[in-house]
Amino acid sequence: MDPIRKDEFDSEACGSKAPKSKPCPRPKPGEAAGGCSFDGAQITLLPIMDAAHLVHGPIACAGNSWESRGTLSSGPSLSQYGFATDLNDSDIIFGGEKKLKESIDYIAGRFAPPAIFVYSTCVTALIGEDMDAVCKEAGDRLGIPVIPVNSPGFVGSKNLGNRLAGDALLQYVIGTGEPEPELPPGVNLIGEYNIAGEMWDIEKLMNSAGIAVTSRITGDARYKEITWAHRAKVNMVVCSRALLGLAKEMESRYGIPYFEGSFYGAKETTYSLRQMAYLMNDRDMERRVDRLTEREESRLTQDLRPYRKILKGKRAVLYTGGVKSWSVISALKELGVQVVGVGTNKSTEDDVRRIADRVGDDTEYIPEGGATRILKTVRERKADIMIAGGRNMYVAMKEQIPFIDINQERHKAYAGYEGLLRLAKELTYSLANPIWKLASSPAPWDKEVPYDR
Amino acid sequence: MSKDRLDIPDYNTLFSEHRFVEQRLNKQQFEAPCSEQETAEALAYSQSAEYMEKNFNRKAVVINPHKACQPLGSIMAALGFEKTLPFVHGSQGCNSYFRSHLSRHFKEPTPAVSSSMTEDAAVFGGMSNLIDGLENSIALYKPEMVALCTTCMAEVIGDDLSSFIGNARQKGVISEDFPVAFCNTPSFVGSHITGYDSMLKGILSYLYERSGLQAAPGSGEETGEKLNVMLGFEPYTGNFAEIRKILDAFDTKYTLLGDHSGNYDSPATGEYEYYYGGTKLADVPLAANALGTLSLQKYTLKKTQDFISETWKQQVSALSTPLGIAGTDKLLEAISELTGLPIPASLLEERGRVVDALTDSHPYLHGKRVALVGDPDLLIGLIGFCMEVGMEPVHIVCSNGDVDFNEVKFKEEAEALLASSPYGSEATVYVGNDLWHMRSLLLTDPVDLAIGSSHLKFAAKDANVPLIRVGFPIFDRHHMHRYPILGYQGALNLLSQIVNTVLDELDRNNSGFNYDLVR
Ligand code: SF4
Repeated sequence: MDPIRKDEFDSEACGSKAPKSKPCPRPKPGEAAGGCSFDGAQITLLPIMDAAHLVHGPIACAGNSWESRGTLSSGPSLSQYGFATDLNDSDIIFGGEKKLKESIDYIAGRFAPPAIFVYSTCVTALIGEDMDAVCKEAGDRLGIPVIPVNSPGFVGSKNLGNRLAGDALLQYVIGTGEPEPELPPGVNLIGEYNIAGEMWDIEKLMNSAGIAVTSRITGDARYKEITWAHRAKVNMVVCSRALLGLAKEMESRYGIPYFEGSFYGAKETTYSLRQMAYLMNDRDMERRVDRLTEREESRLTQDLRPYRKILKGKRAVLYTGGVKSWSVISALKELGVQVVGVGTNKSTEDDVRRIADRVGDDTEYIPEGGATRILKTVRERKADIMIAGGRNMYVAMKEQIPFIDINQERHKAYAGYEGLLRLAKELTYSLANPIWKLASSPAPWDKEVPYDR
Repeated sequence: MSKDRLDIPDYNTLFSEHRFVEQRLNKQQFEAPCSEQETAEALAYSQSAEYMEKNFNRKAVVINPHKACQPLGSIMAALGFEKTLPFVHGSQGCNSYFRSHLSRHFKEPTPAVSSSMTEDAAVFGGMSNLIDGLENSIALYKPEMVALCTTCMAEVIGDDLSSFIGNARQKGVISEDFPVAFCNTPSFVGSHITGYDSMLKGILSYLYERSGLQAAPGSGEETGEKLNVMLGFEPYTGNFAEIRKILDAFDTKYTLLGDHSGNYDSPATGEYEYYYGGTKLADVPLAANALGTLSLQKYTLKKTQDFISETWKQQVSALSTPLGIAGTDKLLEAISELTGLPIPASLLEERGRVVDALTDSHPYLHGKRVALVGDPDLLIGLIGFCMEVGMEPVHIVCSNGDVDFNEVKFKEEAEALLASSPYGSEATVYVGNDLWHMRSLLLTDPVDLAIGSSHLKFAAKDANVPLIRVGFPIFDRHHMHRYPILGYQGALNLLSQIVNTVLDELDRNNSGFNYDLVR
C-alpha cells in the first residue's frame, strides 16, 4: 500500500507548506480523541452543497455521521444525503470497486450532480481499492468530475483530513473552470464552512463594502464557483489552519496573495475586511471599508453596553480546536470576559504563539484532552463558564457549569459584528439562567448549607 | 433579563429577510438552476411508480442509511457494566463518531477510548497501539474493567485481540487479574445490534470463565428465585426503570445483565464521575446460577441467549420489546412462568387503567395508516401495538432485519404477525432497505403517520407526514428516552405520543369548522 501520509508531511509544521519543526499532532492511543482524517475531509468538502458525497466503505463511517453537521445551505441540499457503498464481508474479500462504480452511476443518473466526491475510508484504503482509477473511468464516461478524496481515517487527525481535502480541490477542481466575464474580481474565503449561517453574515459585510466573493471554500458553496477560484485577487484563510497549505499553493501556482484572518470579534473582523481591501489594491474599496467598519463598530459598542456590564470580569475556560482557540479569545476579551484556561491540544505552534499574544500569563494551557483535565482547570481557576464543543457539553452539565457550544454543531452564528452581539447574548443567557442557582443549591431540607433564595 | 433589549435575529428568522433572499437569488447564477416546471416534474417523477421501481432496483449505493455499525452497539453494552471503560481498537475516527452519536441521543457524556491506530499500525499491526492504549487509558480513567472491541480496520488487518491482551499482561502493562473482556465487531457484518450482542456475550462469558464458578441453575439464591433480565440495545433509559418496577411488583429477585441506564441518566450533582451504575461485575458469575433468563430483544441477543442456554444451562425466555397490552401480557406471563410467581394484582390494575386510556383514544387512531422504521425487535413490538389500537401498518422498513431467531426470519415473523389481524392486511415488510426507499414508499403510497428515529425526518418532510419519534437515534427532540415505552405504562406513553400528534395535526390543519375545544 502506498503511504497516503507522505513522509514530507511529517517534516512540515501542521497546516503549512514550509518546513518547520512540528507536524500535525498525532493522536495518543487510549485517549478519548477527536475525529479522524476522513471526518476532516468531509468537514471541508460537505459544504459544497450541490455536489454528491459518496462514502466508500462499510456502514461505520457514513452510518454514524450523515447529516450531523450544522453547515447551512441557501439552496441545494444534495450534500445532506447520506450516500454510502455499505460494503459487507464478501465485498471486503472480493473487492468493492464494482459496487463503487455502480453507486457512482446511480447517483449520476438519478441526481445529476455537478460533481461527485468519493471518500475512501480505512477499510477501502487497506484492501487496496483503486479508487482513483474507478473515479477517473466513471468521470470520463459520465462526463462529470468524479473526485477521489484519499483521506482514510487512520492517516491521522481531523486537521490532516482538512488538508488532504484541500489537496483534492487543488488537484481536481481549482483551475478547471472560468467565471462569467461580468463577475467582478474578488476574494476567496477559504476554510469558512457556514456553520449556523456565519458565512452569510460575513458576505453581508463584504457586500456592504463592495467586496465580491469569488469562491467560497467551502461554506454554502456551489461546485462551479470553486472551479474558478484561481481567478480571485485575494485569498483569505478563515479560521482553518489546515487549509493554509491550499492558500500557499495557490499563491505559488496562481500568484494570489493570501492572508490569515478571523471574523470572531470586532477587531478581527475589521482587520480582515481592511486586509481584503488592501490586498485588492483598491483605494475606493479601502475607504468604503473604513466607513463601514467605523459605523459597525460604533453601533456595536452601543448595542453591547448592557451585556458588557454583566460579562465584565467573568472567567471562561475555552476548549476548542485550531484557530478558534485564539480567535475566540479576542472576541471574549472585547466583551470583558477573561480567559483563564485554554485548550492547546489541537493547536499548532503558531496557534499557541497567537494564544500567548492574546492572553495574560495567568492563563492555564490545557495540553491534552479528556474531560477530567478541562474540569480540573474550570474548578481550580474558578471559571464561570466553559466554551467548548458538543462532546464536552454534557460533562459540563453534570458539573453544573454554564456552557456555550462553539464547534460544529452550534446553532448560533458568532462571526462578524452581529455575531459578537449574539455571542454576548448567549454568554449572558447561559450565565444568568436561574437553573444554575437551582442546580447548585441544596434541597431545602438539607440543613447543613443555608438555602438562600 | 425581562424583555430583550435588542433583537438579534439568528438563522431561524434572519435569512428570510429581503437582503438575504436577494443574495440567494443572486447565487443561483452559479447553480444552473432548474426552472420551476422542471422542479415540479422531477418531484412528480420521484412520486411515480416508475421511479419507485428504479429505486428498489438500486443495488449498489445506500442512500440515507438507517443502521449504525457493530462497535457502536458494543460501547452501549460495555457501559451496562460497573466501572467499565469501552475501548475501541481501530483508528480514532470511529470512536469519536460513536461517542457523539450516543451522546446526542442520550444528552449525556459517553466515556470511550480508542487505540488511535495510524498508518504504521495498518502496516505492522495494531499491537503496540493497543498495549499503549491500555496503559494510558487505565491510568487516565481508572476503570475496573476494560471492554475491548474492534473496528473494521483492525478486522481487515487481522489483529488478534486475545494474544495482544496476553502480551500486554506479559509486559506488565496490565496486571494478571485486571479484567479485559473483548469481542470482534467488524462493521462490514451486521449492525449495532450485532455489536451489542457480541460484547454482552463477550463480557458474560469472560467474567464467568475467569471466576471458576460452575453453573447450577436455580441455586443462586437460597430462595431460588433469582432471575436474569436482559434489555438489549435499549435506547430508552426509562425502560430500565419500568422493568424494575414490574419485577419488583412480582417480588422476585433479579439481575439486570447490562444496565446502561445509570450511565445515560445520571444526576447533575456538580461532579462528573465517569462511571455511573451498571451491572456489578461480581454479579455476573452468580447469574449463572439463576432460575432462568428473560431476554427482551430476541433478535438482538441471539448469541448471548445461546450462550446462556448452552453454558449456563438455563431456560431462556426470549421476547421482542414488550410494547402495548398484548406485548406486556406476554412479558408478565414469561416472568410468571420462569419464577413460578403469580401475576401481581397491582399490574392487573394498571393494565385496566391503560386499557381504559386506549379506549378513550381509539376513535382518533382507528384506520390510521402508518409507516414504521426501526430495529427488528422494536418493530415487532410496534406492529403489535399499532394493530392493537386499530392503526394499520403499511410500510415497514428494517435496514438490519436480516436476522432470525430459532430459524424464523424477522421478516417471516413480522408478516405472520401482520396476517393475524385485518389491520395488518395492507402491510409490506422491507428488509435491508434504507430511508431513500422509505421516501419512495411514503410518496407513492401516502400514510397518515410515520414512526421512527430522527433520521426519518427528511423523508417524512418530503412526504408531508408527521413523524413520531420512537427508537434510535433521536437527536432532535429532548428527553424522549427518559419515558418508558415498554410495559403498560410504556403503552400509555406511546399512546399519548401518537394520539396527541394526531390531535395536533387536526388543530393545525383545521378547516375552521372543526377547531373544537373538546376532543
Ligand atoms: S477511522 Fe476509519 S473506519 Fe473509522 S470513521 Fe474514520 S474512516 Fe471510517
